[in-house]
Amino acid sequence: MPDPKEPDFSDVESGSSSTAPPPKPSGGQTYTVVKGDSLSKIAKRFYGSAGEWKKIYEANKDAIKNPDLIHPGQTFRIPDA
Amino acid sequence: MDGYRRSLCALALGLLVVAAPACKKKTDTAAAAPDTSMAAPAPAPAAFAVQSVEVGKQVGSDKRVTSPSTTFAPKDTIYASVATEGAAPSKTIAARWTFGSGKLVKADSQTIAPSGPEATEFHITKPSGWPVGKYKVEISVDGNPAGSKEFEVRK
Repeated sequence: MPDPKEPDFSDVESGSSSTAPPPKPSGGQTYTVVKGDSLSKIAKRFYGSAGEWKKIYEANKDAIKNPDLIHPGQTFRIPDA
Repeated sequence: MDGYRRSLCALALGLLVVAAPACKKKTDTAAAAPDTSMAAPAPAPAAFAVQSVEVGKQVGSDKRVTSPSTTFAPKDTIYASVATEGAAPSKTIAARWTFGSGKLVKADSQTIAPSGPEATEFHITKPSGWPVGKYKVEISVDGNPAGSKEFEVRK
């Protein structure tokens, strides 16, 4: 039971805004694997270098058990370069 | 045999004498003349920090309090503007409004990705009117205290 002597602030309304934008959602873009793809090919497509495949692997470790074996239809997060 | 040992010692001593100044010179050179052939590193971006906390009855489009005030009427909307500088991919600025000895009035937060000088405003309003008394707004950034301002509501 609320104390009648205590002020009641239950009807207080609040808000906020900023000149700064909200943070970008993490994870960048996504890509759905097609037949013939490999992490290196995807890395080459997004980063211009096949050697960056580890970046995609690290961001999708939960979905990629073996980096040499990815399947058509899998969707991966592509971290920002 | 003694002759052989003496020769070995002399050789080792000679190597030490030759090697020691060479090592020292390398260190001295590195310290005295930094490699200028490399491009100068870009200046580090300013660290994110709260510059000021102001309270007032309204804010402009720049989210800054137009005329700071520490006394309000019961029907006023109360604004707190937090001016910050520096860049960061994500910072959560929180405002905790309290009354009297610390009774929570409202808590709110805003997550931003600042890229330089920015201002973030928080506001509270109470349609039934603010109880007369002393209030405080405490600002924190990512959970760390970053400033506070006290104000009063009078009839």
